[in-house]
This record gives sequence, structure tokens and C-alpha cells, in this order.
Amino acid sequence: MNPMTSNPMIESYFAALANQLSDLPQAKRDEVVRELRAHVFDRLEQITVPTEDDCRTVLKAMGTPEEIARQYRLELLLNRSAWRISPWRMLRTLFRWTLTGIQGYIVFVLALMGYTLGASFYITALLKPFFPHNIGVFISEQGLNIARFPEPPPGAEILGIYYVPVAVFVGFLFTLGTTLAIRFVARHFGKLKQKVAGMAAAA
Amino acid sequence: MALLRKEPKSEPTEKWEAQLRKGCLELAILACLWDQRLYGLEILRGLEQNSNLVLAEGTVYPILARLKEDGLLQSEWVEADAGHPRKYYWLTAAGRQKIVSMAQFWNSFAANLNSLLKPVLNGKGRA
Repeated sequence: MNPMTSNPMIESYFAALANQLSDLPQAKRDEVVRELRAHVFDRLEQITVPTEDDCRTVLKAMGTPEEIARQYRLELLLNRSAWRISPWRMLRTLFRWTLTGIQGYIVFVLALMGYTLGASFYITALLKPFFPHNIGVFISEQGLNIARFPEPPPGAEILGIYYVPVAVFVGFLFTLGTTLAIRFVARHFGKLKQKVAGMAAAA
Repeated sequence: MALLRKEPKSEPTEKWEAQLRKGCLELAILACLWDQRLYGLEILRGLEQNSNLVLAEGTVYPILARLKEDGLLQSEWVEADAGHPRKYYWLTAAGRQKIVSMAQFWNSFAANLNSLLKPVLNGKGRA
């Protein structure tokens, strides 16, 4: 085995990388570290007797752990957000954008509003069986009401227990709509992604 | 912190080059794998031979990871004499299709742009 395998410089490099990748699933993180480790060892094995300086050169050519971790997050997380509809993951990815400027911040706030609206429909659907007189679709001269506490809203409730599936559906529409909107923005502002990378590199 | 940082306005050329390089890197990686299975370092060697596409070697791996997630590549750990296994990559059927269409696009794209650039490079043209 290569004498450099347990070099403290290399160990601390990969410890830093693993640490930077802490938001990836464990299995994925281990795989990344293993792959990059193989790369470093291969590079060092080309040198007959690698010195500390050689180690430093090889690690430097790799790029810093921060830079690599950032690339992984950009490639994998943004990609995943483009295909999955998990609000949690979307928001987490978006939150990274918010740190890059006002556009990201606005998208993040709008997304949060969209998901909150979706979530509140789910919540009213859940509560409907317990508060049948307070939650529903109430039509009166004042317009349309969904819920009011402690007094029920004015007007007649038109859906009854069918409110539950309807609210779940509407909540789902809001969640999906928000996700699709984010995807659209993400695709449209692919530039943004590069900007993040560019700024990261400049920092 | 970064919230207030403004977009860097300087070095627009450098930024353009970085973006161009990044966009082409994906194409180049897929092209390297056209008729062989390679591991990361071999792909890098292939890239080094005929381009200055790669700045930091480590950045090839995140791209490989995404290409795999996109279903364009497949990978497998293979034991080697080196004492440690290496992760080999190869093109899937979808990857094969993708690189063909990318190559065709690149070809006509580059041809059009080259003819556009001809007068610029020849230093002739408008007064």
C-alpha cells in the first residue's frame, strides 16, 4: 500500500470534504469521498517517492473541499429539485439562492407563500371533521369564507364533508403549482446557478 | 454576509470563458466515454490532452455524478492492481443518444459561429 495513505494532510482534506458534504445522504457522501480518494492515490502513485510537497500539489490540483462540495451540491441538489416535488428539498435549495442575491430571495419568499397556502388547505381538511361548522366553503353577501374561529363564518356551507377531498385537492394544486413555478424559474434562471458557482469561485 | 454582496462586474471575459468551458466540459466528458469505460482520472487525462477545459480536477466528479443521475452514465467499482478499487463510467443507451445529438448540434453551431467570426479573425471588414 502507498505510504501516503495515512498522510495527515490527505486525511484532513477528506475530513473537510466529508464535513462540507454533510447534507448529502451518508451513502452518497461515502461514495464521493471514496472516489476522490482513489483519484488522489492514483495521482500519488505516479510519483516514485511522494513528498509532502507532492501531496500538496495533488490536493491543490483537485480544488478545495469547499469548492468541490459546492459543485456537488449545485449539480445534485438543483438537479433533484428539478425532478422531484418535495417542498422541503425545494425550499432548502432555494434557500441557497437567497444567499446569492435579491432574485433568489424573492423566489424563496414566493415559494414559501405558495407552500404555506397549500399546507393551510391540508390543515383545514384535517380539521374539518372536528370543526364541521367552522370550516368549509361559506357563501354569503360578504363573499367566500373558508374558516373562522370561534364564531362560524356567515352564510351557508355548501360542501359538507366533501370539503375534505376538495381541500386536499386544492392544497395539492397549490403545492404542485408552486413546485412547477420554481422549476420554471430554475430552468429559466439556469444562469443563476452558474452565478452561484461563479461567485463561489470568486470568493 | 453574501446577501449583500453584489454581482462581480469585473472580468466579464473571464466569466464568459468559465461558462463556455463549463458547458463544453459535459460534452467533452461524454465524448471521452464514447467507445470505452474509464474512471475519473482517465477521463481527466483524456481531457488534458487536447483542451484547457479543466481548471480544478475535482470538479469533474460532481458532473459525472449528475450525468449518472440523469441516466446518461452508468458506473461500477472495479478492483485494480493499485490496491484500491476505481469507479468506472460508461455511456448508457440514453447517454449515447445524447452525445450524438450534442455532437451534431455542436458541429453546426461551431460552423455557423466560425463563419461569423472569420472577418473578425482576419481583421478585415468594416472601417
